[in-house]
Amino acid sequence: MTSPRIQTARDPTRYDYSSSTGSPERNVQDELENDFFQQSANDSSTSIVDDGKETEDEELKQFEDMKVSPTAYLPPELLFAIFGRLASPQDLQSCVFVCKSWARCAVELLWIRPYISKFKSLESLAKTIQMEQPSFPYASLIKRLNLTTLTETLNDGTVLPLAACNRLERLTLTNCVQVTDTSIMRVLENNPKLLALDLSGLVDVTDLSMNVIAQNCKRLQGLNITECKKTTDASMVAVAAHCTHLKRLKLNECDQITNESVMAFTKYCPNLLELDLHKVNKITNQAVLDIFWKLSHLRELRLGHCDLLTDAAFTGIPNRPVEHIVEIAPRLRNLVLAKCRLITDRAVAAITKLTKNLHYLHLGHCTQLTDQAIAQLIRTCNRIRYIDLACCQRLTDRSITQLATLPKLRRIGLVKCSNITDRSLMALVHSSRAHPCALERVHLSYCTNLTVDGIHELINSCTKLTHLSLTGVVCFLRKDLTRFCRPPPNEFNEHQRAVFCVFSGPGVAKLRNHLNHLSHTNGTLAPDQAYYDDREEQDTGLVDEEDDEDEEEEIQEE
Amino acid sequence: MSQITLLSSDNVEMKVDKEVAERSILIKNMLEDVGETPDQAIPIPNVNEGVLRKVIEWCEHHRNDPPPPADEDSDSRKKSTDIEEWDQKFMQVDQEMLFEIILAANYLDIKPLLDVGCKTVANMIKGKSPEEIRKTFNIQNDFTPEEEDQIRRENEWAEDR
Repeated sequence: MTSPRIQTARDPTRYDYSSSTGSPERNVQDELENDFFQQSANDSSTSIVDDGKETEDEELKQFEDMKVSPTAYLPPELLFAIFGRLASPQDLQSCVFVCKSWARCAVELLWIRPYISKFKSLESLAKTIQMEQPSFPYASLIKRLNLTTLTETLNDGTVLPLAACNRLERLTLTNCVQVTDTSIMRVLENNPKLLALDLSGLVDVTDLSMNVIAQNCKRLQGLNITECKKTTDASMVAVAAHCTHLKRLKLNECDQITNESVMAFTKYCPNLLELDLHKVNKITNQAVLDIFWKLSHLRELRLGHCDLLTDAAFTGIPNRPVEHIVEIAPRLRNLVLAKCRLITDRAVAAITKLTKNLHYLHLGHCTQLTDQAIAQLIRTCNRIRYIDLACCQRLTDRSITQLATLPKLRRIGLVKCSNITDRSLMALVHSSRAHPCALERVHLSYCTNLTVDGIHELINSCTKLTHLSLTGVVCFLRKDLTRFCRPPPNEFNEHQRAVFCVFSGPGVAKLRNHLNHLSHTNGTLAPDQAYYDDREEQDTGLVDEEDDEDEEEEIQEE
Repeated sequence: MSQITLLSSDNVEMKVDKEVAERSILIKNMLEDVGETPDQAIPIPNVNEGVLRKVIEWCEHHRNDPPPPADEDSDSRKKSTDIEEWDQKFMQVDQEMLFEIILAANYLDIKPLLDVGCKTVANMIKGKSPEEIRKTFNIQNDFTPEEEDQIRRENEWAEDR
């Protein structure tokens, strides 16, 4: 490890780093040992530190002043190693105040990634980095800055001073909605070393900032501009052309962006690993085909709500067919096609060519899919860990029976697959005899045919289950069962609360225990009499209503 | 089991199992360069007898440890100051010895021992005020009052909690 070199504004020699690297020199070590030898009888707590107390014996005091701390001979890299173990900024701050040599090491660790959770702290930090003669070049020490804890309280006035920083590598401003081009541009102009930039939720940021990125931040590897809806192709094509090292790009909900930008990224950024185009809904088959043809490193592709896409995006077009998707996008693991409502079994058939590489597949709301697509998928893509088929209402127990054979399946989303019955649950239960059940999260809300008996068997065979959602499943809207649910989200209205039924974490185990208890003591899973007595007549007539908000929650959580 | 001899800075020879000595990457590489078990004692010029004995004791105890995980930079591992019980007892030595062990572990390139040493010192720092830290390690405050005042103002933000 080499010790970082820093020039101070005030006096470059005072905090010089060049001394005392490597092992201590031999003669110094000898001196040190002699000192220790002479001092060994003394308790260190009685020694020199200037706590204001007068030592009675003047001679002894002089003697002690000569005593050297055993820490004095640690080279800076070992002080770094020790301070690096201190997780709390307060401990590091204390180290800064101890003495000059400690300060030199500790400020770097304290400032490299300042932890800011209060507006007042940010103001104080901003004041320091704008000082004309700071003790250390603090502004240049900051490499990572994450201000998501402050979100709404941040505005351009508070972000502008951060333009003093010139070595930022990571800047995260997620949901700092009041921050605009005015401050962002200044910060970006001064930080050509940026590697990762997260501006998601900054709805007022425009092409002006994006153009600064293109001109200045050519090392950028990660860019998240989710919800920066004012950005257009005009700037994004420039970003693509200049930020050619991009690996992770999230343009979610930037709905002015079209094929033009996407195709510029595929042209100039061949290293892209992750591409999120959720709700970039102007894009067409042409852009998706281009992605497959050119981004051979791609691991994750999210195309949710890109509802112009059709099967041709995956099967190819007559003069440019996609014969083997796996040959052109061999690393694609995660694929999200939720709400690409036009796609059919033919698209899924093309996707199956990804074979065992495919781990994560979201086909929620692809309502045209049939059992045949799932059968074909499972036959070749047997390493799927996560699958979501919410609202694929044509699917029947046949599909789930196929899915049950996936040995690594950890998460299955079947919200509103209203045709499925206990037969699906039994398939999942039986497959757990062939291989240990890996299922952790099971989403069965609005699968209204399911029974308590079926779920009872499922949770007994899936021992790793940590999440089970059964919202709107009428037989589960029983007080003795719903008491193990987690509370509904705050934004839910009364109706949504009434049908909400999600078991998570310890709630799953409690539900399992309760059902086992009922079946052992009563021989049936009917609720105890006590629950009949005060049962309210509220659990009917609610399940057929569409409940889009809840469904969204079901689908989007991971 | 082949043995090798180490020679401390104060010219004391110590015989150790090769496998134990090879916990030190420095020695391991040296032996690999030589190609065969050397007849002569290997000089360890930066480490005296007392410290070298302590280091060997640690290597003996940890001779069969699996290699550390590859993701050395993982934050959770770095930030953790948990120390296994045997190592805690091992590190119950006076400060001079503690820092000598750290220096020796660094010189001999024994990362897990260096790790335990750094964690031990970090635990001595945790939760203490600057004044308490100075007392603990017998460090002289070499800031002038003006410098100290300035540096405190500059780093005030870190009191955020």
